[in-house]
Amino acid sequence: MGSEMASDWIRIIVGLIIVLAFSQLNALFLVWLERKVAGHIQLRYGPMEVGPHGILQTIADGIKLVGKELITPLSADWKLFVIAPVLVFMPVLVAFLVLPFDENLVIRDMNLGVLLIFAFSTLSVLAILAGGWAANNKYALLGAIRSVAQNVAYEIPLLLAVLSVALMTQSLRFSEIVAAQCRVWFIFLQPVAGLIFLICATAETNRAPFDIPEAESELIAGFHTEYSGMRFGLFFLAEYTNMFIVSAVATALFFGGWHGPFGFSFGLPGIVWFLLKVYILLFVIMWVRWTFPRVRFDQLMNFSWKVMLPLSLLNLIVTAAVLKFI
Amino acid sequence: MSYWKEIIEGGWSLVEGMRVTVRRLVRPVVTVQYPRKQLTLSPAYRGHIEFKVFPEIGTHRCIACGTCQRTCPSGVIKVQGVKDHARAPKVATHYMIDFTRCSLCGLCVECCPTQTLKYSTEYQLEEESRWDGVYDLMARLEERRT
Repeated sequence: MGSEMASDWIRIIVGLIIVLAFSQLNALFLVWLERKVAGHIQLRYGPMEVGPHGILQTIADGIKLVGKELITPLSADWKLFVIAPVLVFMPVLVAFLVLPFDENLVIRDMNLGVLLIFAFSTLSVLAILAGGWAANNKYALLGAIRSVAQNVAYEIPLLLAVLSVALMTQSLRFSEIVAAQCRVWFIFLQPVAGLIFLICATAETNRAPFDIPEAESELIAGFHTEYSGMRFGLFFLAEYTNMFIVSAVATALFFGGWHGPFGFSFGLPGIVWFLLKVYILLFVIMWVRWTFPRVRFDQLMNFSWKVMLPLSLLNLIVTAAVLKFI
Repeated sequence: MSYWKEIIEGGWSLVEGMRVTVRRLVRPVVTVQYPRKQLTLSPAYRGHIEFKVFPEIGTHRCIACGTCQRTCPSGVIKVQGVKDHARAPKVATHYMIDFTRCSLCGLCVECCPTQTLKYSTEYQLEEESRWDGVYDLMARLEERRT
């Protein structure tokens, strides 16, 4: 009994270290990739100085962030202020628990895995609200308010899009959803839901063109205006890890998870297919960011309530009707 | 019906935008890694003014008439000249410009009656004090001639 518990603890600690290391490395790579994509879209190089093609640039930036002083404003609610960056990063770690990297490479294959991810990723907006509120800065507060309004608005079509997939597979377990796509990916059966999911996921992760919570032209830096050093770094890290998670969920729900296209795996192992698709989706998110201008707040809300919500509801009803009568 | 039309047309315009950026993405970049590589400057580049050297007389042709000094909207130019004797033509001896206040309008070059001014192609200027922006064009001319 005692040794069993000890091995459980070892498993938890090793798993946590792997997940932490992966999320850090992933964020380092994504920041570099984002700057490269931005550069080349604007016909310039992007980072070139540190390491070959600037690959070590983000490590240098990270070291700088760690070395910086952590400033707490005098009028801030310091307890909340300190804890908010930690809170924003925690739900991100939980999501790794159920992500299906391969057929047998899941930490816990829960029967409510999809629900767990969405339940926890909603928590990060609370952390953003806490951070923006605790800073006692009007720009931070405005950013936090916007973030909450935006997340509430986009959560609904997002979940409705997921629901139409769940209706088709009659399961919320990732392994079953992915297994149902071994021949045809759900993006071909549910293109509207897939598109809605991608758009809403971009809005959920506060990415451009939906990045109004941190719109630097209006709100300085939005909710993380007063954060410096590694506290800001944690917000940044959480954003990029969130991007990875929504892309991974989109891959699992719509792009066939660890399956190759149309059942052909071309001899590649499942995890390679999975990560390949995730990083392609991440590239698309970056591509979108450097293409479209930021939407205005009323446009953002109109788009969610007048377009995304009716479309996703319609899609859900059509899906349900097709499944019922055919 | 305009609701659906707006969604479809708007969506198509977004796709069009993505097409533009992905084309940019694969195009070769236009910038260079500056301190290590430098682009060749266009001959039409207009830096601060400089004296021309006329090969037939081997020096400038400034007669210190002061037209440039009076025309300059920012009061950048100070020019002085001397006559060797009463009947001799005037020749410039001092020509100072305060480049920190110059707006590069080029009126001095255009109004010069002897066309002895031109634009230099210098763009890598760095100074420590604002007085370092004051250039002695005569000294620069001597430097170039030697």
